[in-house]
Order: sequence, then C-alpha cells, then structure tokens
Amino acid sequence: MEIVDLSTLPDSEVRYTEFLRQICEKHDMDHAAYAGMNPAAGTVAGFVTYDDAWNEHYQKQGLIMIDPTIHMARRSIAPVDWSRLERSPDFQRVFRDAHDFGLPSQGVTIPIRGPYGDIGLLSATRNCSKEEWRKLYTNFIGDLQAMAVHIHDNVVSSDQLTGALYHPTLSSREAEILQWVAAGKSQQDIGDILSISHRTVEVHLRSSREKLSALTTPQAVGRAIAIGLITPG
Amino acid sequence: MIIVVDGLNRHMFSEVLDEMFELRARVFGGRLGWDVKIEDGKEIDEFDHLDPAYVIGLDDGGNVVAAVRALQTTGPHMLSDVFSAILCGEAPLRSATMWESTRFCVDTQRLTRGKEKNSVSYATCELMIGSLEYAKNAGIQDIITVIDPVMDRVLKRSNCAPYDYVGETVPMGKVSALAALLDCTDERISGLREFAGIHENVFMDDEEALALFAAKKAATQSPANQDHKPLTELEKYFVEQMSAARNEAERQDVLKLIEALSDTFTPEQKIALLDTPRAFAHEA
Repeated sequence: MEIVDLSTLPDSEVRYTEFLRQICEKHDMDHAAYAGMNPAAGTVAGFVTYDDAWNEHYQKQGLIMIDPTIHMARRSIAPVDWSRLERSPDFQRVFRDAHDFGLPSQGVTIPIRGPYGDIGLLSATRNCSKEEWRKLYTNFIGDLQAMAVHIHDNVVSSDQLTGALYHPTLSSREAEILQWVAAGKSQQDIGDILSISHRTVEVHLRSSREKLSALTTPQAVGRAIAIGLITPG
Repeated sequence: MIIVVDGLNRHMFSEVLDEMFELRARVFGGRLGWDVKIEDGKEIDEFDHLDPAYVIGLDDGGNVVAAVRALQTTGPHMLSDVFSAILCGEAPLRSATMWESTRFCVDTQRLTRGKEKNSVSYATCELMIGSLEYAKNAGIQDIITVIDPVMDRVLKRSNCAPYDYVGETVPMGKVSALAALLDCTDERISGLREFAGIHENVFMDDEEALALFAAKKAATQSPANQDHKPLTELEKYFVEQMSAARNEAERQDVLKLIEALSDTFTPEQKIALLDTPRAFAHEA
C-alpha cells in the first residue's frame, strides 16, 4: 500500500492521525505516535493512534514529563530501539502503566532535528517476538526515517512563522536534475547527460523530494514548478 | 574495537570523549593547521554541544586511536553552517537518510605503519566499517563526509572510494577540504572488510567498554590499596556497593557513606576509595 502524501489529505488535525494509521498499516505496526517541539513558534504538537483511555491516563498522570521515548530519544541522531531505554526507571514507570492498557513496550522512536532547533519524534510499536522485531526492523527503518521527516516538516511548516522560514532551497545541481526529470528523462539518462553516477542522481532527487515535502518524484517536480524553482518541461 | 557514544550514554564515557577531543586538537589544530578553537588541550566546537554521535576506535588497551562525528543533515550541521565555502554558497543536501560525518581523525603517533592491528591503516578501516554499519543499521543510505585530500586517497586505496563529490576542494589550514559521498551499502562494507581483513564484529557494547576502561585505569594508576594491607571487610563491602550501584545517585550514596565512616580509614585509604572506585572494584 502506498502512503498518501500529507498535503493531499484534508487539512485538519485528523490528517496527521490518518497518516500515522497508514504507516501502521504499511509496516504492520500496532500503533504510531508523533511528538514535535518547535521552540521558534513556541508550540508542541502530538498525534497518536492510541485509544482515548490511554491518552487520557497519559495526560492525567503527566507521563509526558518523564516519558523517555521523548526525553531521551531526542538526544540521539539514530532511531532509538526502546530496548535501549528499558533500564531507566522512567521507562518502567511509563510502560508498567501502558501494559495495563494493553500496549506493548517494544518499539522504536525516530528523532528528526530541524534547522530551527525544532525536533520531531516518530514512534512505532508492535507486539511480537524479539526475533521477529529484529527481522522487521531492518526492513522498515529506512522508510520510517523518511516518514518521520515528512510528518515533521509538515507540522512545522503548518505554523505561520516557521512555515515562512521553511521555504525550500534547491542547489543548482538539485534543480538541474529535477529539470531533466520534468523533461521526461530517466535517472539513467540524467546520469549519462550530466556525466555523474546513477547514485548521485538518486541522492539529489531524494534530497529534493524531502526539501519539497513530497513523497514521490513527480510530486516534487509539480511543486518545484509551482513555486518557480524549475520551468515546465 | 569500536564504541558509539551519543547523547544517551555520554555521561558514562566523559573521559573517553576528553581523550578524543585531545586527539582532535593534535590532528586538526596541529597537523592539519585548521582554524579550530582549542581550550585546555581539547578541540570542541558548537556542534559538539548538539548531541552528535561519535564513533570511536579503541586499541586493545582502551586508548582512543580514531574517531569521527556524525550529525543529521535535516538539522544544523557543518556543511550547512561553517563549511559553506566547500559548497560554493549552494544549499546543502538535506535528507533523513543522509548523515554528515566530520572530524575524522586517526592517532598517527600511537599507531604504526603497515596493515597489521595497531596500524594507521587498520584503525582507519575499522573506524570506517564501524561508521558505515552504525549508519546502515539506523536506516541511513548515504554519508556526506568532509575530509582532506590525504583521507580521500586513503579511502580510494582501501577499496572504499567515494562515489562522488559535492562542491569544490577549498584551502583549509595547511591542507584543503572537500565533501565526498559514500553509500552505506553491504557492497561497500564488505569491500572494506575484505581489504582490511577484518571479518569479525567491530562493535563493543557499553558494558564491555566500561570494563576495558576500568582495566586500563587499574593498570596505569597505582592500585588503590598499594601501600596497604589486604582489603578489610569494610573496604570489600564498599567495593561491592560501588560496583552494584546502578546510577549516579546510588554511587553518590556510597561515597557519602564512605565519608561518614571516615574515622575508620586512614586518609590515604579514604582518598583511594573515593577517587578510584572503578579501578578499586576491578582490583577486588
């Protein structure tokens, strides 16, 4: 199943939860959650697929103040497998409660650092054997990284102030490659035309897509044309 | 062996980090003559305060022999902020699946020539393998690395040639600097492993590393009870408490208890107990 780009979902808070649901479905996860901190705008955002009962308990007990999947994971540059947090007393406190609500303590949090001190954390959990989890991990982790930056960039740029700061700038190489895509050339062709490796083309396209908050290359081309970074065809 | 130190475990490895910052001062401030800030013999910049990840190479004695620093390209990093000359003012690449690696250094004084263990070549390859595997396991697909032309040649010679470069080679200190692209694929890692003859796991976990440092301390510092009789029952008790302490608060409690019972110990014994809990624990 392909994940629907956030901007094409209806413009309300529900779309973030819907996006998280799609992530769960694609990667066979039980639940997903996003927490974002944006100090420039002074805002905190949170979207989850958990049941209301747990959300209420989590808020009432002030678990957000101690939750290590937020406070510790944000200090890592790599995804944090929750097994790394297990020994912390705060983890045991939060997940003892979570267990009573039928939530697993097996999961991963992906920290994303933005340019203005903003931080986004995408978490996903799944109740399964450790072996199965490890096997799945290798397959989903790269895609979850891309999903994490996608939801984070969308949340941050939906704020008026940071949205204005967040306008994408492409390097001339990125614009050049995107321009060739708009002209209908394949990645292989573009590599040959510019005398660069296939992987260099790929890495620049990946960067352009993420800068333009697009999940697919055609979408990135559309946006780049719309904001005048490249010309049509 | 390789350890990874980041914002989650750096409180356990502050001495290792200090040793690494000293190595960086010798390499970047001294040998390469870069314009870096050195204080107290350590090279530390603003990016070190942003919780980067350090991949650190250790020799069998637990000394830092190689190190590199990784940051996400989605947030503040060197190419977006201080190395913009390399990119000729162009916007840097930004991707959740690309990390930037900087401050790659190897201790050429401590290490030997050739390709054997404890050689510059071995330590370089081991650090490269560690960095690429750490990145790959995190779902990272590419690394953009800021290096000097010597390091670029080393990469090419080690079966690990960059697949491309971004921007220009610009003068920096006594040398120059450039930005190279490396993929974190199994092909690259196995090529590097083949070249270096390193087939085993290169990583050490936190516990193993702490044990190695305790052993190193015990060997370099004089044992805590050097001039004393064998350990008394009370000393043994403290050693046990100290090694059983699970966190800083519990360690502090043991130290307080030692203080409270200071009449029982000679001043030397007390200082030894307070100063070298780990070495002492290892002794016991």
